[in-house]
Amino acid sequence: MKLPLRSFRGQLLLVFVPVLALAQLATWYLVGRFNEREARQQIDTSLQQAAQTFRRVVADRNAHLRTGARSAARDHQIRQLVAGDDPATLASALQSLRGTTDSSVVAILEPGGKVVASAGRGAPESALPTRLIALAEADESERPSAAGYGYFDGVLHSVVLVPVQAGSEVIAWLLIGFRIDREFAADLKLLTGSDLLFLGADGAALAGTLAVSAHAPLASVLQATRGHSALRQITIDGGASLAVFRPLLTGREPVATLALVYSLDEKLAPARLAGRYLAVVAVGALVAAAALALAFARGLARPVERLAAHTERISAGDYAARVPVDRADELGRLAGAMNAMSAGLAERDRVRDLLDKNVSPEVAARLMRGGAALGGEEREVTILFADLRGFTTLSERLDPPALLALLNRYLDRMSGAIEAHGGVIDKFIGDAIMALFGAPVAQGDAPARAIAAARAMESALAALNTELAAEDRPPLAIGVGINTARVVAGNIGSNRRLNYSVIGDGVNVAARLQALTRAAEHRTNIILSAATRAAAGRAAADARPLGTVTVKGRTEPVEIFAIDAPLSFHDHRTSPHTEPPFLSP
Amino acid sequence: MPSVLSTLMLLSVLLPAVGNAREVRVEVRDPKGEPVADAVASLTPLDATPVVQPPAEPVSVVQEGEEFRPHVTAVVVGTRVTFPNRDAVQHHVFSVSRSKKFDLPLYRGEPREPVLFDQPGVVSLGCNIHDWMSAYIVVLATPHFARSGTDGAAVIGGIPPGRHRLEVWHPRARSALTREVIVAEVGAATQVIALTLGVDRRVRRAPESAGGGYK
Repeated sequence: MKLPLRSFRGQLLLVFVPVLALAQLATWYLVGRFNEREARQQIDTSLQQAAQTFRRVVADRNAHLRTGARSAARDHQIRQLVAGDDPATLASALQSLRGTTDSSVVAILEPGGKVVASAGRGAPESALPTRLIALAEADESERPSAAGYGYFDGVLHSVVLVPVQAGSEVIAWLLIGFRIDREFAADLKLLTGSDLLFLGADGAALAGTLAVSAHAPLASVLQATRGHSALRQITIDGGASLAVFRPLLTGREPVATLALVYSLDEKLAPARLAGRYLAVVAVGALVAAAALALAFARGLARPVERLAAHTERISAGDYAARVPVDRADELGRLAGAMNAMSAGLAERDRVRDLLDKNVSPEVAARLMRGGAALGGEEREVTILFADLRGFTTLSERLDPPALLALLNRYLDRMSGAIEAHGGVIDKFIGDAIMALFGAPVAQGDAPARAIAAARAMESALAALNTELAAEDRPPLAIGVGINTARVVAGNIGSNRRLNYSVIGDGVNVAARLQALTRAAEHRTNIILSAATRAAAGRAAADARPLGTVTVKGRTEPVEIFAIDAPLSFHDHRTSPHTEPPFLSP
Repeated sequence: MPSVLSTLMLLSVLLPAVGNAREVRVEVRDPKGEPVADAVASLTPLDATPVVQPPAEPVSVVQEGEEFRPHVTAVVVGTRVTFPNRDAVQHHVFSVSRSKKFDLPLYRGEPREPVLFDQPGVVSLGCNIHDWMSAYIVVLATPHFARSGTDGAAVIGGIPPGRHRLEVWHPRARSALTREVIVAEVGAATQVIALTLGVDRRVRRAPESAGGGYK
């Protein structure tokens, strides 16, 4: 898919996807870090607990052995054997004791520490008896005893020492212990969940649950951390593990070390699996987000593009085109608004079109600004009708092109005179002109303007006639009728062709007044109705009353007036070329 | 008696002789100066063989209230000791000490025969069924001996003049303290002996209310 970066889609992707990716990455990283820290903490806790469990297990077994040993120490026969001179029997008695107490080693020591008899694995290391006796003698409790660790035949044991007494005399010591071996380590692992390894004072591995490959790393870390009990990280077979070390003491003498180990990798395995799932989900979410963003952008861009295309059509002048409004959101509203705008523009265009033909540019501009309603309305309008007299005769005399040229020349001069006084050309009917004053834009002095326009028309015609005389052509004559009346104004016509015009009786009256100028007895080219004269005020002050006439189509008689000035016009009219000379006085 | 803590110190002052002729007063104190009872002081002539005459009648070490009484008894070689039981319960008095091993299995009242102590040495007594019962019989080869009382003083009288070996023993002392003293023709001498005592190894009597009591 082509993705121009400047498109909405491209920008959305460019912003959205990196932000999401960054958020996912940050989440992944933070969760990973949190998990690792949590795992370390948990391991630390469980290793500490494992160390405590070890101490507890040893203390419990020691207590168990101590009880058995005390019981045996106060046995009269044992006492007698201890005091006696029969080490073989004593040794076999100790063997029995080993069985009943479930211990690994049992021995009778002289008060000075020399081994008198023993059962089980070999003899204790030489330093052990005196160490333990010193501890027991330092014990000032009611029932003195000592506990510690020691080696029997090189095997680590947990041992307990109790006195054998006759009265208050300590006649011997009874040593009893259990082996700390692989089996013990396995039991402890079951109990604690941690791996463990017992290391000798020299760092040599003694027994444990770990593979041989773990022994060397543990021994070297132990060497480096001597005296510290803090959590240490070690690498076993390439995997990370955490370990704590606990010294096994007899008194203050470190005899061996317990290393407790927990695999960090193992602990983190679920979190890492979750992390992988999270990564897959994150990538999926990213892809989905990108797809959604694209879809969303397309959903937004398509209608926008459509609207843009539509706008271009509108700017090209196609107001008939409509955008489908098929959604309820902002874009739908925009489409609706554009359609409404198209309709408005079309209407405006139509009106402007109309006004351009019918209305002076000034009036048209005022109309457009004002948004004039051009529906039908009743209003007072002054209607001016002008007709070229003797046009029929003229048309017979001239060839069509010359005739039309002459006609247009005439109409142009007349139109100029009318528009100069604020009149609106309503229509040309052949050689006749119908003009409106006070419509479509109201004018307070419409009748006066109409009268002024009529005078100007006469002047203009006089000028035209001068030109025509120079061209050796006959002069033209006009008749003008002006009436002021309430008429219906509005757009009249079919859907395809529409004209702003006025209709009503007043229009007919104006036409009839114009026709009356042909009557020679009136001796005028401009006839006003009484209504126009009254409304024109001073502008019609020189109007000459012509009496009342009965206008065709009207039952009531109408009072009419003539406008005579300028008189020069009439002189001009009486030139020999004038034909017919009905206007001459 | 093995005990790491028990050491023996001697702070000896020979005081000018006063009072009775040929008498040695031994004052036994612990390092804090407190008197030590139940110490046995004996003088053995170095230039003559002492003559010991065991008493005709046996010496008694009774059991009363499930305790031996007295705790320490000093006798001369050849003395017979009897162990009358004045308790309602039976006792089993025994010794596994090197100088005298004996066994008086469970009995009430007077045992059948007294025990003859014919070897010098310290004999530790016990009762096989009452671990807390403890007593000592110090068998001496000299007639010049005395046991310290609660004031810590052991007064030995009737001593022939001349060089003697002073020996002071106590159950909680690691070993006997010995010192050579010269007893003058006339006058008395006081020997102050400081003993550092080890832990009392007597088994504590279990309180009756602690359960398991036989009523």
